[in-house]
Amino acid sequence: MRRQFRDTIMDLAKYDDKIVMVLGDVSVYLFNDFKEKYPDRFYNMGICENTLISVAAGLSSQGFFPFVHTIAPFVTERSFEQIKLDMCYNQFGANIVSCGASFDYAWDGATHHSYTDLAILRMLPHIEVIQPGSRKEVDILIRSQYNNGKTTYFRLSDHPHDIDVPVEFGKGVVLRDPGSDVTVMTAGPILGNVMEACRDLDVNLVYFHTIKPIDKEIISRFKNSEILVIHDAFGLYEAICEVPNLSVSYHGMPDEFCTWYGTLHDVRKKIRLDTESIREVVSHKIEKFRKS
Amino acid sequence: MTSIGKEIREDILRISKASGHGHIPTCFSVIEILYAVYDTIKHDPKNPSWEDRDIFILSKGHAALAHYCVLAKFGYFDINKINSFGAFMSDFGCHADRLKVPGIEASTGSLGHGIGIAVGMALGLKIEKSNRKVFVLIGDGESNEGTVWEAIMVAVNLKLGNLTIIYDNNMSHLRGLQIYNPAERFKAFGCDVTIVNGHDVDSLKREITKSANAGNVRLIVANTKKGFGCRTLIENQYEWHRRSPNDSEFDRLMRELDEETV
Repeated sequence: MRRQFRDTIMDLAKYDDKIVMVLGDVSVYLFNDFKEKYPDRFYNMGICENTLISVAAGLSSQGFFPFVHTIAPFVTERSFEQIKLDMCYNQFGANIVSCGASFDYAWDGATHHSYTDLAILRMLPHIEVIQPGSRKEVDILIRSQYNNGKTTYFRLSDHPHDIDVPVEFGKGVVLRDPGSDVTVMTAGPILGNVMEACRDLDVNLVYFHTIKPIDKEIISRFKNSEILVIHDAFGLYEAICEVPNLSVSYHGMPDEFCTWYGTLHDVRKKIRLDTESIREVVSHKIEKFRKS
Repeated sequence: MTSIGKEIREDILRISKASGHGHIPTCFSVIEILYAVYDTIKHDPKNPSWEDRDIFILSKGHAALAHYCVLAKFGYFDINKINSFGAFMSDFGCHADRLKVPGIEASTGSLGHGIGIAVGMALGLKIEKSNRKVFVLIGDGESNEGTVWEAIMVAVNLKLGNLTIIYDNNMSHLRGLQIYNPAERFKAFGCDVTIVNGHDVDSLKREITKSANAGNVRLIVANTKKGFGCRTLIENQYEWHRRSPNDSEFDRLMRELDEETV
């Protein structure tokens, strides 16, 4: 996804001299071509996430479209107040593009895990929250949102899915609708596991790449079914629950720090977000709902 | 204290008494700084969004009442509009909202934010090769926040010669995390530093007008007194940090202003 981010920015920058890259000492080599081509609009500003956000807000006030890019927990949890006040409250909109989603840096331990970012940012006014799951989604959603004057959070992962879904900002996607009594809703890269797990199960399947604004219309269409949210972060479940009169449950993050190191796949398996575990959870939900 | 300084302080006391909201001592420490800034920089009160204007940010946002009163003095709006200070549905909150008050370039309040925004503004103007300048007023208490020092490091690294930081050295820092020898610290961070009497408008204007050495961030340490102009406020800073005066206190403070005016 990061390479797609770079490719999309390189293309946009050909036509838009208001794009400014503000990096927190991450992906610097990746953006070498941008740096060489547009030296006045490339800043590896250092490891100071709070100030990256404030500076981007100031750049925005002068008519630029900044992209702040660094590691997810640091640029969201640490810099939450700067995003809230300097960007959102001041309405100095800018783009925040993170890497290291959920357990992409599993081996680095709990300090580098990021699973609250979507949930905390979606609570802010004047912000858009996007969790692209594929390279195509990165490309289309950056192009459609980067210069609209709002603060937009793009949460990139090094483990995209390769499922080709229609992409329109703010719109969920019905991937399967056999009229089942159970609907699985998910977002972002974990779709790969969810699709495989549900391949022959009798469930409806709805996918989101935009967490805020959440597509309430598409959720409402499944209000008469039992909704199971499967997500490797917080935020999607809470957004879905804002639609009234739903019966919703959540399978995802545990209430503990995931201190086991290893790989993304190791952690997903441990917290039962691997394909096999998801299949068990969904099958159990289908069985339970049928009995009730 | 000059007659203009006295008039602005009288406005602040009157509005504080009527509204019940304060932060008077910190307002009194920055009045000459604010006046000197607006008497020096390029701006147009009748056209606050004039595209060639210089920019001023009050990073120590709790001195908003002083900022409002100085903006009114320069003609941005009628002073009487501020009478609703802090009231429900007022445009004039105890911390300023840039979307409501003409002349306010950034909404501040939480300390350590305005300076980072100012650095971004200065960087934007540098990219545009603009001659416009950015001025930001930070407090010594505010400088307990790590983001102040982050922002200064970034500004120096980016060689933002169009940025002037004014440091209101009113000794608030003595209450908690102490910052001794601020000028030496700012020099060590790479700024062009000057020290000035923060209640001397002429000296302030001279320093605000000066340019830094090419590409250097300029930093003016303005030595001030919290509550300057009223002995009661200087001697009882803790008690008066947030409060507003009652009738008899108002009369006493106004008398003290008379005694301090030259």
